[in-house]
Amino acid sequence: MKKKIGRLALTLLLSFSTVLSACSGGSNEAVDNGSGEGKVTLSFWTLFDGGDGANMQTLVDEFNKSHPDIEVKNTKLAWGEYYTKLVTAVGNGNGPDIGISHSSRLPDLINQGVVTELDTPATDAGVDWSTYNQNLLDAVTVEGQHYAVPIDTHPFIMFYNKKLLKEAGLLGEDGKPILEQSADGFITFLQTLKEKLPAKTTPFALSNNNDDPYRLWWSLYSQLGGNDVVSDDLKSAAIDKEKGIKAADYIQKLYTEGYIKKNDPDFYKNFQSGTAAIIMTGVWTTGTWESTKGLEFGAMPIPKFYDQEATWGDSHTIVLPLTKDEDPAKRKAAMVFADWVADNGQVWAKAGHIPSKPSVLEKQEFKDLPYRSDYSEVASVVKFSKHSTKNAQIRDEAAFKFLNEVWMNKMTPADAMNNMETAIQKIVSE
Amino acid sequence: MKIKKMRADMQALVFLLPFLIIYGLFTIWPMIKGVEMTFYKWTLIKKMDFVGLDNFRKVFQDREVWEAIWHSTFFVFLSTPTMIILAILLALIANRKSSLQKFYRIIFFIPSVLSVAVAAYLGLFVFQPYTGFVNSVLHLVRLLPQNAEIFWLTETGLAWVVITVITLWWTVGFNFILYLSAMQEIPDEIYEAARLDGASDTQIFWRITLPYLKPLTKTITMLQIIASYKVFMQIYVITGGGPLDQTRPIIQLIYQTGFKNNNLGYAATMSYILFVILLVLSALQYWMTNRKGAEY
Repeated sequence: MKKKIGRLALTLLLSFSTVLSACSGGSNEAVDNGSGEGKVTLSFWTLFDGGDGANMQTLVDEFNKSHPDIEVKNTKLAWGEYYTKLVTAVGNGNGPDIGISHSSRLPDLINQGVVTELDTPATDAGVDWSTYNQNLLDAVTVEGQHYAVPIDTHPFIMFYNKKLLKEAGLLGEDGKPILEQSADGFITFLQTLKEKLPAKTTPFALSNNNDDPYRLWWSLYSQLGGNDVVSDDLKSAAIDKEKGIKAADYIQKLYTEGYIKKNDPDFYKNFQSGTAAIIMTGVWTTGTWESTKGLEFGAMPIPKFYDQEATWGDSHTIVLPLTKDEDPAKRKAAMVFADWVADNGQVWAKAGHIPSKPSVLEKQEFKDLPYRSDYSEVASVVKFSKHSTKNAQIRDEAAFKFLNEVWMNKMTPADAMNNMETAIQKIVSE
Repeated sequence: MKIKKMRADMQALVFLLPFLIIYGLFTIWPMIKGVEMTFYKWTLIKKMDFVGLDNFRKVFQDREVWEAIWHSTFFVFLSTPTMIILAILLALIANRKSSLQKFYRIIFFIPSVLSVAVAAYLGLFVFQPYTGFVNSVLHLVRLLPQNAEIFWLTETGLAWVVITVITLWWTVGFNFILYLSAMQEIPDEIYEAARLDGASDTQIFWRITLPYLKPLTKTITMLQIIASYKVFMQIYVITGGGPLDQTRPIIQLIYQTGFKNNNLGYAATMSYILFVILLVLSALQYWMTNRKGAEY
């Protein structure tokens, strides 16, 4: 009998341990804190891959070359796991000296005590905040204190295929689309594209779910003057439902009336291979389109559909995670690095991002990059979300979820807004 | 006599010690810690406030949790029988004396060596509209009009089909190998005797092969149920739990709650609910396999 119970217990333990292992998180990376003589070594965690990753590495290499007393070591993490790893590593005291954060994720990191305010080291390092774009700076300032150094903004913009637009008679002499900047004007534009171009061509490449249609919705909603989806005290849902419905209804029609290919599994490739006339997505794709042979494209801010100019955007920032020793020398060196990266935004802009310092926009090196200047003014009209700790959760579990149903024509915009309101309320009141 | 036995026990203990230490440290201790977590508001960084039984109270009122548990259960119903029947069929094919025997064994087993991410991404590419393999074939044989598409991944019902098919393809090889080796253990004389008596192939299958496989089937059924309850990764990749969370399994909800939404206490509470379910099933398995003594 005893034996039996023992064996039973063992079976149970085994079955349980497999449950646990199924949801275990990431592991920690070894961090090198070794500082040479007089030289400050900083570990830097980034979440960039592809072109972004290469550009950041270039920046780090050049910084190390030009600053003999500081060495930055760049560790690239997969971006899907980045935040979880950062939070757990900082939690057990193994975090890096410098990290990257999106400004939308910053409130959550501040709230959890993962990142520290950086005004003291910034003053030590001689950072002049007035050299940054004010809109971007506001997104990283909480109660008058700076928590991050913005290095860019990456808004939602529109790209167009010049060949196809020309074929449809919609390309002006100046190489810009002939498009009336209004909700109806944009529909007319798409209609013309649909009529004039071969049936296989997609007028407007957009994914059928999650990020990009959400970004378009957020932009339209903001253009209509919609409030953020949470109240100022961040404690309750505050969607302006009427405006939300209007924006969602407009986008739903783009799908149901066939301007956007239904359930397009690869809308990037669709534009890249020249079978879609326009695409709306983040500026980070500029570099990709540029390196595509035979793709003649242009870039511009998304049209002004409604009363005020606005678009979705986020911003990459450099943060100082909480470390065990909080070494002032390291923190100062980190700020020197962060400010230097922002100063050299022309390198970072190669991927397509808009530099965070207006002075970089004036540099010849930046001006020599094509396309970027066509949309760099957008930096000032990006509508960031409020400083809520629940931004990511609201986006994934309330906005994406119900808006996706609207795009598939399975839910009315009105129902979606009601559901979103309930879901957001549940999330913020937890 | 007694001393001798004690010495043997001591020796065994010494050999077992390294394992017991590791097991205690990485399994028993986290389990105890997990129980502690259920009574707190606990983030990835730190223990916050003691909330008593609030997490448990909440779990019983949380529709999302029960829906997710239902989805996992639904997947168990979909996958367990198919996983067993298909494995037996494949084993029958591979067990037939033919020159292709080795070939069958390899091709039936080979998907099992893939990682779940590879299997799931293959599933995505095969079932996606416009360029996916399945829709292309349907177009080719004109079962699907040229301008129509089946959206396998975004309709709840079809998404379950895809998830089940991918999981079957990917994991059936393991059960197949177990059945194949069990079939090869069945003594040839029994088959010979049956043939002499004039039994047909179907009779042989139903009256001899299948009864011989019964104990193994019992074991596989229980293991399969437990494994299927833990479904997560392939669904996460293929549908992300959508549309409208209609394919989200409980493990995904636990992961989201704990690691994305930073609420480890509540996530731990959910995993204990799942633990109780698996506990009942394990007990059932124990009872079933031991009822008739050493049958297998």
